[in-house]
Amino acid sequence: MSNVLTRDVLIKWAPLIVLLVLVLFFTAMEPRFFSLRNFARIGISSAPALMVAIGVTFIIIMGSIDLSMEGTVSVCAVVFAFAFIALGGTLASWAWLAIPLALLVGGAIGLVNGLVHVLLKIPSFMASLAMGFVGTGFALLLTGGDRIRVEDDLFRSLLTERWFGFPIMCYVALLFLLIAWFIQSRTTLGRNFYAVGGGEELAHASGLNVNRVRIMGFALAGVFYAVGALLAVGRIGIAETATGSNFMFVSITSVVVGGTALWGGIGGVWNTLIGVLIVNVINNGMVVIGLPGYVQDGVLGILVIAAVVLSTDRKSVTFVK
Amino acid sequence: MSFIKNYIAQETITRRNLLLASAYGVGGAAISSMLGGMARAAITDPTVAWSYRNRTNPYWNEIVSGGEAFVESLGKPKDFLTHLINEGSSEKSLADVKALLSKTNGELALAIDTNDAPNARPVVESCVEAGAYVSTLWNKTDDLHPWDFGDNYVSHMSWSDEGPAEQTARILLDAMGGSGGVVHLGGIASNNPAIERLAGLKNALKDYPNAELLAAEPADWDTQKANQVMSAFLTRYGDDIKGVHCANDTIAYGVLEALRAEGIEDMPIVSYDGNPQAVELVGEGKILATVFTNPHWGGGITAALAYYAATGHFKPSDEPNEHREFYGPTIMVRPEDAQAFKAEYLDSVPTYDWKDFWSTSNGQIQYK
Repeated sequence: MSNVLTRDVLIKWAPLIVLLVLVLFFTAMEPRFFSLRNFARIGISSAPALMVAIGVTFIIIMGSIDLSMEGTVSVCAVVFAFAFIALGGTLASWAWLAIPLALLVGGAIGLVNGLVHVLLKIPSFMASLAMGFVGTGFALLLTGGDRIRVEDDLFRSLLTERWFGFPIMCYVALLFLLIAWFIQSRTTLGRNFYAVGGGEELAHASGLNVNRVRIMGFALAGVFYAVGALLAVGRIGIAETATGSNFMFVSITSVVVGGTALWGGIGGVWNTLIGVLIVNVINNGMVVIGLPGYVQDGVLGILVIAAVVLSTDRKSVTFVK
Repeated sequence: MSFIKNYIAQETITRRNLLLASAYGVGGAAISSMLGGMARAAITDPTVAWSYRNRTNPYWNEIVSGGEAFVESLGKPKDFLTHLINEGSSEKSLADVKALLSKTNGELALAIDTNDAPNARPVVESCVEAGAYVSTLWNKTDDLHPWDFGDNYVSHMSWSDEGPAEQTARILLDAMGGSGGVVHLGGIASNNPAIERLAGLKNALKDYPNAELLAAEPADWDTQKANQVMSAFLTRYGDDIKGVHCANDTIAYGVLEALRAEGIEDMPIVSYDGNPQAVELVGEGKILATVFTNPHWGGGITAALAYYAATGHFKPSDEPNEHREFYGPTIMVRPEDAQAFKAEYLDSVPTYDWKDFWSTSNGQIQYK
C-alpha cells in the first residue's frame, strides 16, 4: 500500500480527489446537483473558460504569465461577430470564414504580445497586462460600446444542439483539449515549454532558442483564447467588449488549482481541465445549495487556497515569489 | 474605418480642450477669485458643459447625445458642448470643473453627474462661488439641496427605481397567474438601483400570497454571470421557477440564453433599462416588460436647466422645491406598445422642447 500511495502519487492525483470530494459534498447537500442536466450546465460554463485556461497553461509551464486574455477574448469575439455578420450571417455561407479569421487574430495578438515581451525585454506580467488593456480598448473602439448579436441558428447550435445530454460546445472544447494535449506531449514545441519552465538557463545552454519558444508560446495561447471567445459568443449569442471579463481570474485560478505550478515546468492541460471543473463546480454548487450571494466570493477564495495547498508540491520550492 | 478616425479626432479635441482649460486655470485663478461670489443677473452666452463618466457605456452615450441635441437647438454646432470626462474619478471630476470655471470666468452652464454623492458638494460650492450655474444628475448627498444655494444650484434630477420595478414585478406575477416561484437576478449588491429594484419586487409579492421568492442572487449587471447564475437556479429549483425578475436588460439577455440552452422558450421574464435590444425582445414577447428612463432627454434637459437659468430665462429661486429636486420620467415598455415605443424613441430620436423642464417629472424627490 505504501508503495502505491507515495507522496508523489498523492500530489499528482490530489486535484482529481479535490474535484470528486467537492462533487460528493454538493451532492450530499443537494441531491439535485448530481444530475446529467446539471453536469451539462457545468459543462457549458466550463467550455469557454477551459479554452482560455489551456492557452495560459502553456505560458505558465514556461514559467511566464499571460494576463492579456480578457482583451484578446474581447477583440476576437468582436472581430468574429463583425466578420460573421458582414460575410452573410450564417455558417452555411462564407461567414464560416469568420472562424479562422478570429483564430488568426487571436494568434496575431499573442504573437505581438510575445514579441513585446521578448524583444523589448519587458516582464511577461507587464507586457501581457498592457496588451490586455490595448485589446479591451481596441474592442471598445470597434464596437463603440454596443453589443453585436450573433443569431444564426446553425452557429448557436453550439449551445442548443445536444449529443448525449451535452451541447456541442462541450465536444468542441474536448476536441481542442485533445489538440492541446497532443501539442504538449507529442511535439517539440510542447516539450520545449517544459524545458524553458524547468530551467531556462539550462535550456539556453543546451542550444534551445528560448526566445523563439516564448514567442510561439504566446501566439499559441492567443489561438486558444480565440477558441474561448468563439465558445463564449456561442454561449450567449452576443459579442461585446465585456465578453472577455472575468476570464483572467477564472483561467489563472483554474490552472493553479489544477496543480500546474506558477514557477513553471510542472503540470499540463489535463491538470487544467480538472482545475476548470473544480472552479465551475464550486461556482455552480454554491448557488445550487443556496449559499447567500455575499458569502460566495469569500468561500470561493478559501476553497481556492485549500485546493492549491492540497494539490501543489510546495516542498520542492525553496521560496515563493 | 473612418469611425475610428472620427473617434480619435474627437478624443484629441476633448483632450486639447481640457489641456487648454487646465492651462487657463493657472492664469485665470486670480481673476476668478476677484469675481468670485459676485451675484450675476444673467450671462448672455455661457459655455455649456457636460461632465460624466465615459463614452464607452451606451447609457452615457445617450446622455451626451441629449446634451448635443440641446446645444443644436440653440443654433450652435454639436462641439459647442464641452465634455468633461471623469473616467470614474471624483477627483478628476472636481479638478476639471474648477479648471473650466477658471477658463470661462464663471460664465458656465454645467450639467454634471459628480461620479459619487460626496463629490456633489465641492462641485456645487465651486460653481456657486464662481457665479456659474449647475444642474446635477443622479449623485448627491441627501443633505445637499438646490434651494440652499439661491439660483446657482439650479436643479437635481434622479430616478427612483422601486416603483417601476414593483410595476414590472406585478406584470410578471400576473403572467404567472399569481402563483409559483420567482427568482431575482440582481445588480452589484451594494448599488442603489440594485437594492431598489429588488425592493420593488418584494413590495409586489406582498399582494400575491401564492407566489414565492425562491432566491435573489447578484449577477453584477453582467450577461455572462447572469447566464451562470440562472443555470444554477435551474438545477436548484427546476420546474418550480415560474418567472424571472431581472434587475436590468443585460442580465435578462444572460437569463434568456440560459433558458434557451434548456429548451425553455415561454418563461415569463421582466427587465429594466429599455435598451434597444431589450425593446426588440419585448416586441417579440420574450421579455414581458422593461422600463425606459430616457437618458437622451435627461442629458438634454439637465444642460437646458443650467443654461436657461444662467441666461435668465427663468429664476430658479422663484420655482417650487418640486422643480428643483425631482424624479425623472420612466416609461414602461410592454409587448403591445413596443413597436410604437421603438418608432417614437429609438428608430428616430424625437425633437424635444428643451424649455419644457418638468411636465414629465415623477414628483419631488423623497428622502427616507
